[in-house]
Amino acid sequence: MHVTDIEPGTLGPCHVAPDALQGIKRQQTNPARWDGANWEEFAAAIRARGIEMREAAAALAAFATDAGGTAYGLAHGVVIARSTEQVALLLQAAQRYRVPVTVSGGGLTTEGESVAFGGVLLDMTGMSRVLHIDAEALTVRTEAGIFWHSLAEELRRRDLDYLSAPLNLTSSVGGTLGVGGIDVNSARLGCSADQALSLQVVTPTGEIVECSDTHNAALFQRVILGYGQFGVITEATLRVRRYTPLRMHYFYYSSLRTAIEDLQLLDHNDASDYSGILTIMDCAVNVLLAFDSPEREAAFMADWRPRLRGYGEFGFGLCTLVHYALRPWKLGEAWYLLQRKRELFPELQRPEYMRGATMLERSVVFSRAVWKFWGNRQMVIPDLATSAPKFVEAVERGNAVCRKYFPHYTLYLVGIRLRPEHRAHYEMSCIPPDAEGWAYGCEFEPMLGDTMYSRDYLQSFKNEIYDIGVDMGASYYRFGGMMKGYIRRVFGDALVDRHLALKRQADPAMILNRHVIF
Amino acid sequence: MFGRAKIAPQPQKDYASCSGCGLCLLVCPVWRRDRDIGLTPLGRAKALQHGAAAADIGESVQSCTLCAACEPACPEDIGLVAMTLDLRRQLVQPAAVQSLRTRMEAQAVRPRAPRPASPAVLLPGPALRERPGTLARAVALLGGAGKISIADDDGSDIALALEAGVSIPAPRLERFLQPLRGLRKIVVADGLLLRHLQQWPPGSKIASLGEALSGVAAVRRALRASDLYVIEPRAYHAGYQRLVNYYDALRADCGCVLNLDLQRIAIPAAARSLRHRLDLAAAVDTMDTSANDSIQARWILQGRMTTRIVVESLEDGAAFERVSDCPVVHLAELADDGT
Repeated sequence: MHVTDIEPGTLGPCHVAPDALQGIKRQQTNPARWDGANWEEFAAAIRARGIEMREAAAALAAFATDAGGTAYGLAHGVVIARSTEQVALLLQAAQRYRVPVTVSGGGLTTEGESVAFGGVLLDMTGMSRVLHIDAEALTVRTEAGIFWHSLAEELRRRDLDYLSAPLNLTSSVGGTLGVGGIDVNSARLGCSADQALSLQVVTPTGEIVECSDTHNAALFQRVILGYGQFGVITEATLRVRRYTPLRMHYFYYSSLRTAIEDLQLLDHNDASDYSGILTIMDCAVNVLLAFDSPEREAAFMADWRPRLRGYGEFGFGLCTLVHYALRPWKLGEAWYLLQRKRELFPELQRPEYMRGATMLERSVVFSRAVWKFWGNRQMVIPDLATSAPKFVEAVERGNAVCRKYFPHYTLYLVGIRLRPEHRAHYEMSCIPPDAEGWAYGCEFEPMLGDTMYSRDYLQSFKNEIYDIGVDMGASYYRFGGMMKGYIRRVFGDALVDRHLALKRQADPAMILNRHVIF
Repeated sequence: MFGRAKIAPQPQKDYASCSGCGLCLLVCPVWRRDRDIGLTPLGRAKALQHGAAAADIGESVQSCTLCAACEPACPEDIGLVAMTLDLRRQLVQPAAVQSLRTRMEAQAVRPRAPRPASPAVLLPGPALRERPGTLARAVALLGGAGKISIADDDGSDIALALEAGVSIPAPRLERFLQPLRGLRKIVVADGLLLRHLQQWPPGSKIASLGEALSGVAAVRRALRASDLYVIEPRAYHAGYQRLVNYYDALRADCGCVLNLDLQRIAIPAAARSLRHRLDLAAAVDTMDTSANDSIQARWILQGRMTTRIVVESLEDGAAFERVSDCPVVHLAELADDGT
């Protein structure tokens, strides 16, 4: 979609057109709180079915915001999911009384998607048991409210591991399958949702349905990466694998473009088992590679290492020293780099998670580091997802926006291997429609630290990043909640209207996660 | 730049700093039991951030087992144990807790115990005192009566008061601490008391009973690769940064499996409620505690092949005896003490 340039502060030719807001300062808007009609009758009906409904202020407060910390809302009541049947009863009653239901897993959304603006907050973490592990078939059946880390704890007792999950210990399985999920092995294994073999789903009207690519496939395709619009995932069967510790390698670049080109070279040649980019600054870019076996590592060292343009830690340190010695006016930047290295690097090599050169617990190491160094009561992480050829430009343009808004920020970039047979899953999701083979995603995360930014300031930042996506025909991972104004701009009216019609058919009272997408 | 304002860094992080990451849930025994965010540090933090008072979250505050697993898991380094205890202090105290205060006041006016002749002292706590044979073996393994003596006053009432959020009268605390001052080493069986002793008497080395015994060569020799070694969580988490490496070395040395999760946080074998420790409503709570301990102990054992369970804490041992046919042995009973 091409967006014509408009003089900032002026209206475009049509002030209600999708692109009419470009250049105009846009403020964050949250949905209006649901008015509570029929709430008492609904709550009584729920309690009559033996379901505990909590309405005390302290119980509601635990869900008043999400990890983003910029959207706030209060439910009328909280229900902790305890069984699929209970979820079905809840949704049936919600349809009858037209009460909105907002589903929360780990609560790690950043745009208020898991915040209830009235109605019921359904806390899925109450359903977090592992039901069955088949170590021979390499599958696990689990309740969907389970955190990936809790799943990993159980799998590891059997020397197994999940395939792929966000580098965040408290993401829930159901939440991740609903949005995609990326990991540093996504360039090889696809997004986290790709490991789902089948799901048990409670539809918005309260039917319990088992679905997969071959059974109730239409529902499966809409629920996977469906942002919670077409059902509540209550159980999931996932592919798993044998556990392996990782052999880590870090390469350092002073150019984003060079680092991305090398990353894509490695991804497209299956040269590593894990790959990603994490920046300290845009002139200190770290390409992270890892391997499951010494054989894969040796093959990389022989075939691909010589082609990489990045340095090892010592070499990069030397180059950086020379760079700043010739530019003494940038000593502040050098000092920041040094401090960051001193804080961050030991955290990535804590001895309790290492055995020699191998990392035992990658999700623990990276998740702890993410929260320790990037976690905050406010977090904004706008992102861009593009096809491989567009990625460098998208990242460079996004990086320029970050520079404009914040003194310090981090970019996290990974590839996502696309599964041709999952094309239907990817419709209206973070996977851009023009991507072939791989999609690439970049998260732009400002380091807010002790500085408190206004919500409007943060929203303006996100808008500028997302405007790039509209301009380039990209997609986003976080397009729901506060960013849903971009959905029609980036996906187009025809596709969105088709999904809206499906939603209305599946959810006549539009009660399930009603403010997230439509 | 519009829209930003500097906030002065806070001197000590409290619930206000909670970013909601939820890492505390993953290690919380109450979470494992109830799957209820409201009963976890995260739930308390979020409720307080949104205006709740201690009384509004009383059930959550009282349900905490003070295993302290959440503290090393917290990336914000929030002092979660101290804050839970502070919240308990703000709650209206039941009558039985008032009687604990009376007990401490009575202890305070007892004649002071003579200063130990040995350079080290062991504070065994009530469970170990009830097993004189095990206590004697522990003393023997730690060097015998010439090197370590059993404290006449082991502060068990103070440990309970700490847990209950009852303020400790200054004379009682002074009577407890006075004989400990200047000692070279204090070995403590109660992990919560150990945490506070690390701040109270200056100059003494404080060690948990588990750490002290597991450092004895004879004990290490007796550990087997097929053992499940159960670390007492309160003491472990109070000294996590140091002890995570200590126990990793123990594991490498002996080959035994530890009750650590993937984050290297100790999984508590028991989920003792405060009410049980205060001997309130014994009949009901004994049932509660058995069920709670079963969940925890079973989770530790799940998928692990072990031929013997070695415990640092007798209370942990009791939890495993309820759910496993494996022999359960206290560290002090593990090796020949030479007596």
